[in-house]
Amino acid sequence: MPATSTLTMAPTRAPEHVAATDLTRSDRDDTVAMLRRLLPASPPRETVPLVPVPGQVVGLHGPAGMGLTRLGLSMAAGAATEGSVACVDVRGWLCPSAAWEVGIDPDRLVVVRCDDPVTWARVVAGLLDGMGAVYAEVPRQVKEAPLRTLASAVRSKGTPLVLNPLSGMLPGGLAQLRLEGRRISWEGTGAGHGRLLRRRLVLEASGKAVKGMTRIIEVEDHGADALRVVSRLGTAPARYAAG
Amino acid sequence: MWYPDWALRRPDTPPGEPAQAIGADHRVVAVNPEAAAAGVTVGMRRRQAEAICPAIRSLASDPTAEAVGFEPVVRAVEGLIPRVEVVQPGMLLAPVTGAVRYFGDEWVLVGRVVEAIEAVAGPGHRIGLAAGPFSARCAAEMAMGEPLVVEDDRSFLRSLDVASLGREELAATFRWLGITTLGQLADLPRQAMVTRFGADGLDAHRLARGEDRRPQPREIPVDLAVEERFDPPLDNLEQAAFVGRALAHRLLTETGRWGSTPFRVVVEAESAGGATRSRTWRNTDPFDEATLGDRIRWQLAAWLDEARLRSGPGIGGGVVRLRLAPADLSDRGRQLALHEDARRAAETHRTLVQTQALVGPDRVLVARPQGGRDPGDRVQWSRWDDPPPAPAGDPAAPWPGAVPTPSPALVPDGAVPLEVEWDGGMPERVRLGSRWEPVLSWAGPWRRLGRWWDGQPPADRYQIVTSAGAFLCEVREGATWLTGIYD
Repeated sequence: MPATSTLTMAPTRAPEHVAATDLTRSDRDDTVAMLRRLLPASPPRETVPLVPVPGQVVGLHGPAGMGLTRLGLSMAAGAATEGSVACVDVRGWLCPSAAWEVGIDPDRLVVVRCDDPVTWARVVAGLLDGMGAVYAEVPRQVKEAPLRTLASAVRSKGTPLVLNPLSGMLPGGLAQLRLEGRRISWEGTGAGHGRLLRRRLVLEASGKAVKGMTRIIEVEDHGADALRVVSRLGTAPARYAAG
Repeated sequence: MWYPDWALRRPDTPPGEPAQAIGADHRVVAVNPEAAAAGVTVGMRRRQAEAICPAIRSLASDPTAEAVGFEPVVRAVEGLIPRVEVVQPGMLLAPVTGAVRYFGDEWVLVGRVVEAIEAVAGPGHRIGLAAGPFSARCAAEMAMGEPLVVEDDRSFLRSLDVASLGREELAATFRWLGITTLGQLADLPRQAMVTRFGADGLDAHRLARGEDRRPQPREIPVDLAVEERFDPPLDNLEQAAFVGRALAHRLLTETGRWGSTPFRVVVEAESAGGATRSRTWRNTDPFDEATLGDRIRWQLAAWLDEARLRSGPGIGGGVVRLRLAPADLSDRGRQLALHEDARRAAETHRTLVQTQALVGPDRVLVARPQGGRDPGDRVQWSRWDDPPPAPAGDPAAPWPGAVPTPSPALVPDGAVPLEVEWDGGMPERVRLGSRWEPVLSWAGPWRRLGRWWDGQPPADRYQIVTSAGAFLCEVREGATWLTGIYD
């Protein structure tokens, strides 16, 4: 998934007394083992975690076409290392092919169609009990109180919840990580030739998960694998640069 | 020992008229001799039975009341033969080897049993004696008036119809293949049966050869038994049955972790007076939660009723302890996948059952990939918990003209009109809500010929990119339709 799926090798030099050309096979093996110990075990953490931690609510904001459905599915896939992923589909438009492409196994994906705002809250609360992660579109008429109840259920049960409201915004303070789509650009198409290949999505991240600061990140999606945060390409408002 | 009309031994059964007892699945579970003479048989659908015999009186089966009424019969047999197993109200199995040795002869034993059960339940019983439970059951079904003692199980079974296996679909397949008797089935090589019919075929072949499943004692860990204590004692049947159902769930969860399910369970209850009662229940197939829960309820009803009416020892003063112990385990438990955790799988199952109850089973769905040219065609939906149907197309096939990946994340259920301004065959602007968005780039068209034999017109598919996102649309018969949003 995003931040941790891309391995980066820091330019670390080998000790000077070991000349690469003079190495025997066993020496080389020893050197490789030593370098592996010296190199960091995992790449540096991104400043914006795109994999929700247990008990976290993520809110996605933006119009249809901004790429938030795929982003939400990708986040749920990353969060559900064990157990199934439930998608609550309000419009009945969700296409499982996109979920499979971001890494959710067909055997672990359950789609629940529910457009009634009252039942919706009960359905999502129930799914938090037994699923690994839940991605839910939020119907238009859902009141604030059931959303707050859901947030407390997420904290107590530990199941990550990704909410994608179909209109409007989630109440303030509900989501620990709030991602708002700012711009989307696609590559691969021209004037009647090519095909959609890759997209870049600029997001504004805010909330407790980013320590209350607003950050701008850019996310790249190849379509056939998980999302990737493009390091050092993000721009940010003045004084809060991050990448 | 079997009372075929046990479900009809109730006060509201009309004497001298055809009558049938109907189970929860709307099938006949018992018929009286008048109905049997008219051609009604056990297992028949209610409508079918009523069509054959329009004057028949249909009564809803009440297993709890039947179990309560059957308890004195079980006790009577238990007085002569230990370790009696109840199959259902009206039918029980008893291992007679030791008792035959004690009484000296099979017929002496049968005579004592007949005497004992007729004293409490009257005539109408059928008794079969054989080396295995399946043969004994078949013998009891065939015994008319006199008990039937089978000397050689294998030769006895050879003449029986394949329907006696009790599996309609399998029996129909055997008949279609020209196998009508268990003897013909037994003559087939076992390997061929397993290859063609799997575990069901193997079971059928074993039964046909008289190799009935004997209790196969495996080492059962002590901790598989589940127990609950109550303070104050439970004297209400509904409460006790509720706890029994929960215990059944616990027991099956515990045994499920070992990849097994029990087909014999000992139900043990301790009364407030300190007396302990236990009864073994047996099922042809391994127990599931509902089946075992029913058996526990029936048993508790019988014991509590006995105590209330003072017709037997029962459970006086209520239940203070209830214990379920698996007597034999079957290896038919579900094999979990490598990544699957049994506890989590059970939680997921329970959650989705609750969700089904909230939104209906048609709205809790799973999807499987299938072949197709459009994003919507590449998904095969089915209800969760239903076996997935065969895919309409092979997903690994090439599908020329298919819309390439990535797939749109949103695919409208029906045709949604999209306003697109075209200039010389090239899209210029797209109307999104109240505003027009200029097209930044586009790809296509991918031509789909359509199923002309179904009246489906040909269509051209386009990928259109605007600053607000990318859309998949198709143009057919001069109009543009939205078929996907790359959200």
